[in-house]
Amino acid sequence: MNEQIINFIIQELHGGAEDLEIMAEDDLLGSGLVESMSMMRLIQFIEETYDLKVAPQEMTIENFMTVEAIVTYVESKNK
Amino acid sequence: MIYLLPHTISNSAKRFPAREAFRFGSKSLTFNEIEAKMNQLANLLHEIGIEKGDRIGIYLNRSLETAIAMYGIMQAGAIYVPLDPKVPIERTQFLINDCGIKILITNNAQRRNIQNIVAPNIKLDAIIGVKEAGNIPTFLWEKLAEQPITFTLPFSVLETDVAYIIYTSGSTGNPKGIMHTHASGLAYARLTADLYDLNENDVFANHAPIYFDISTLGYFTAPFVGGCTVIASDAHIVMPASLSQLIEKEKITVWYSVPLALIQLLQNGLLEEKSVSNLRWVLYAGEAFPPKFLRQLMELWSHAKFSNIYGPTELNQCTYFNIPSPPIGEAGIPLGKVWKNTESIVLDENEEAVKSGVGELCVRSTTMMKGYWQKPELTEQSFYRRKNNTNTDDIFYRTGDLVRLDENNVLHFLGRKDHQVKIRGHRVELGSIESKLVSHEAVEEAAVLAVRKKEENLELEAVVILQFDMEISEEELILFLKNKLPIYAIPERITFVASFPRTGSGKVKRSALKELLHN
Repeated sequence: MNEQIINFIIQELHGGAEDLEIMAEDDLLGSGLVESMSMMRLIQFIEETYDLKVAPQEMTIENFMTVEAIVTYVESKNK
Repeated sequence: MIYLLPHTISNSAKRFPAREAFRFGSKSLTFNEIEAKMNQLANLLHEIGIEKGDRIGIYLNRSLETAIAMYGIMQAGAIYVPLDPKVPIERTQFLINDCGIKILITNNAQRRNIQNIVAPNIKLDAIIGVKEAGNIPTFLWEKLAEQPITFTLPFSVLETDVAYIIYTSGSTGNPKGIMHTHASGLAYARLTADLYDLNENDVFANHAPIYFDISTLGYFTAPFVGGCTVIASDAHIVMPASLSQLIEKEKITVWYSVPLALIQLLQNGLLEEKSVSNLRWVLYAGEAFPPKFLRQLMELWSHAKFSNIYGPTELNQCTYFNIPSPPIGEAGIPLGKVWKNTESIVLDENEEAVKSGVGELCVRSTTMMKGYWQKPELTEQSFYRRKNNTNTDDIFYRTGDLVRLDENNVLHFLGRKDHQVKIRGHRVELGSIESKLVSHEAVEEAAVLAVRKKEENLELEAVVILQFDMEISEEELILFLKNKLPIYAIPERITFVASFPRTGSGKVKRSALKELLHN
């Protein structure tokens, strides 16, 4: 799942930038890898790919700050 | 004696050594700790070899390091220049060269951008905060720990020396560097502390990035009074659910931001069940707060006091209006009056000061900038000089904003002087059309543009963001306007969009919006 999400960020949000290296624990918003508009696209991708619905009150730092956090969140939703 | 901004840190470290000065997530710095760290950074900067008045760029996301960088640079007798890491690399390179920045302070989260910034035409003596950056010497933050925790300035710095330079976002032409001194920064801290009765028990929520002067309340005033500033992270800004939690969890007493941040919290219904009993001041600036949203918020947070703040970056803040009760109707909130130690005049078309009526607001104050970086002519153009009886000049800053001075000496905002256009011979204020649009319940935000069609004719076009879950047609909205505005002020077209292009400080980028419409 890590790879799938990182791949989406590189391919869809950064136009396939080849030399972009993203770690699962990178702060996505602090580093500027994801911005407010692209965060919405990332959430849409997660909802479609993992067949879940992100409620507004679930859109929090704990769940979306890093790829690692997103994976934990998705796994807890799909239990 | 406090006459330089870093003195506020040392002073509070004496009074409240173990109290928290800055908090970010689970990390914090006490006044003792930030004093030590600013001294260590000042020592490191002198070891690298800086001289008085050198410009040092802060290229950081929202973080604790922002506070250390700002105070360490000023403590070293240098000038800090906050840079927005979210703008294109070329703009950052332009600013580095325009301002002659010698050293960049950053962190590991920015390492990708730093690699792209470093180019043959970029001359930097050092970068602090990353492991490597081409041929430029680098120092890691950990390196600070090796430096002494006391520092003595090897040259004189006076309160009238420049402390920081904030660049305008360039939404209107080329970016300009606005130079502020220790004196103007401290004047701001003193005036805000006095006006809002701020003290060491206050907890400030800092929402604004450091390249936006709204941040000076949290970064200057809080250390001045010995309070604590909670720095919201970039993730908080994008995730309203976390931001509303922060207000509750951190027991915020003073909130200061652009209205948009509060509107987003309201719209997502995230404030209802939050307990914010500690909140005593809600301050906003930067844009008008649509009365329908302000009303909702003031009713929800009825125990807090609300203040509308106004001031271009050149003056930081100059007027305030403490809102007595939730607004009735859709009339805009007044700018109010200038605060202490400040004088305002309203100049009509003939450059005559009026007793009441419409004109350009000009202000002189101790919070005023020293001038624009390396633009003496532009600086002079931005001033209005009035001869006084000592045969010297009182210098006012021309805000470029049109205001109405009413019979009670209260100022009302009308719009930018350059947002006033002539349509078929009639003078039209774009801002007034925008506020009419926003008064409709389905409209969240609106921008009205004057677009030049075929040589000489200007046409009005509106761009609108609708409220979540609301629908309305262009025809219905135009009909709504026709009941409220003269026919020449009705836009020819209304386009619905999901979001606006914005500057780093959250203002609508009109030039980009125009391009968007016509491509």
